[in-house]
Amino acid sequence: MNALKRHGPFLASLFGGLALWEIVGRNTSAAFMAPLSTTIVRLIELADAGQLWPEVASSLSLFITGFVLSVIVGLPLGLLFARMRVLREALDLYIMILYATPMVALIPFILSLMGFGFAPKVLVVFLFAVFPILYNTVEGARSIKPELIEVARSYRSSEWALWREVMLPYTLPYTMTGVRQAIGRALVGMVAAEFFLSASGLGGLIMNASQSFDTAGVFGATLIVGLLGVGLTKVGSVLEQRFARWRG
Amino acid sequence: MTTVGTALPAAQTTRRAWGPALPRAIAGLVILVLWQVTVRAFAPDFVATPTGIAEAIPRVVSSAAFLGAVGITLAATAEGLVVALIVGTIIGVLMGRSVAVDRAIRLWINCFNAMPMLLILPLVSLWFGYSSLARFATIVFAAIFAVIINAAEGAKSVPREYVEVGRSFRSSGLRALFEIVLPASTPLLLAGLRLAAGRAIIGAVVAEFFTAIPGVGYFILYNSRTYHHNEAFVAVIFLAGFGVGFDALVNWATHRYLPWYRRDEQTE
Repeated sequence: MNALKRHGPFLASLFGGLALWEIVGRNTSAAFMAPLSTTIVRLIELADAGQLWPEVASSLSLFITGFVLSVIVGLPLGLLFARMRVLREALDLYIMILYATPMVALIPFILSLMGFGFAPKVLVVFLFAVFPILYNTVEGARSIKPELIEVARSYRSSEWALWREVMLPYTLPYTMTGVRQAIGRALVGMVAAEFFLSASGLGGLIMNASQSFDTAGVFGATLIVGLLGVGLTKVGSVLEQRFARWRG
Repeated sequence: MTTVGTALPAAQTTRRAWGPALPRAIAGLVILVLWQVTVRAFAPDFVATPTGIAEAIPRVVSSAAFLGAVGITLAATAEGLVVALIVGTIIGVLMGRSVAVDRAIRLWINCFNAMPMLLILPLVSLWFGYSSLARFATIVFAAIFAVIINAAEGAKSVPREYVEVGRSFRSSGLRALFEIVLPASTPLLLAGLRLAAGRAIIGAVVAEFFTAIPGVGYFILYNSRTYHHNEAFVAVIFLAGFGVGFDALVNWATHRYLPWYRRDEQTE
């Protein structure tokens, strides 16, 4: 009873929305909108024909490669900026500018320079994701109390220990905020790369379905990307919450 | 790049006055030189370089093609943004003032907000064809959820006493809405507007990429495909400048006309 009370509104909203989708879909032309049932049937068809999972895998490998790369670059670079004040002051304005630049507008350049392979797509995902991580890491590292570093110093802590014991724990909560934002942006980058570079993965599946007027296919693949987005965003929020406790 | 550099956050630089100005200027110079040298040494001729872009700026900004594209995209963005603001504020205020509405649609609003707006492109081009209507729909979709979420947050956070005092003076529901709820939620509405404007113009650009209808997005696409990267990059600078400029405009207008609203640093 308690569980029903707690989750009732959520479930009602969920099923209400899905029912609305079904009803509207059934009462409009099939070219305009596919009802939920048709969409799911179409997804099962695609999966049976072996057309769905390889695309999901392709999209995920693109997402993960670009995202991991952006953490590998963004986190250490952010910490380095925090440690070397001159570097930070010199570059923070330019990071802000890049952060504010609509990355999607750079895709045509990447296309004509790097062509259609996997690498340009990874670059797109990386560019979308790296700046939130870098920016938030720098912000976090900037908020480290100077006394902490001074105390560590007076106890003759080595540079490595200083990074590991003071800077990293202090900065990670902020980095995780960046990671959460970066997950959302990397997903956008993934779809953008698959739409505007060469059609591949789930984005490609959507494009192909749309070009062959397969509305149910468009809805199905879009639904999968949407679910992926909701799931990954959830992972990001959980990570952020988990590390938020460290905030001093 | 330099044009953006000088146009960027005045508030940030003035705060610490001269401190970081020198390293910043040096770093900017180093970046530009590195860019120039790398491209000259390793990349084909058509690739954008700082000097090439600087040369292209006067030519591009006075060209009819660019001005026309900017006009079209800005008009489309404004149109979509206005619709998103009106409809989004209505939905948001309903959510903020009614628990039932909030419970019914909050889940879906959050879902759509988290969804990459690019996903709407194949659908709208199916529905409206490769037309400016598809762009309009993309802009509205891109902008509206930021408006809804902020309007809902604003309407929810109106102090209860305000509404109660209004009620004791027998103000009608509609009057309370326009004279209490909306003014009290202005800071969040403005935050929503700033977020939405940035998303709206990107929505316009991606729609132009996708449907190849005229505008700044198509200007970038066309010029980069015909190996005029310097010219195309000027348009990218314009887009980055639009985001920053719009922010600055809203901030300025807030300070000038609504000085009692302290703008939050956080917009998300």
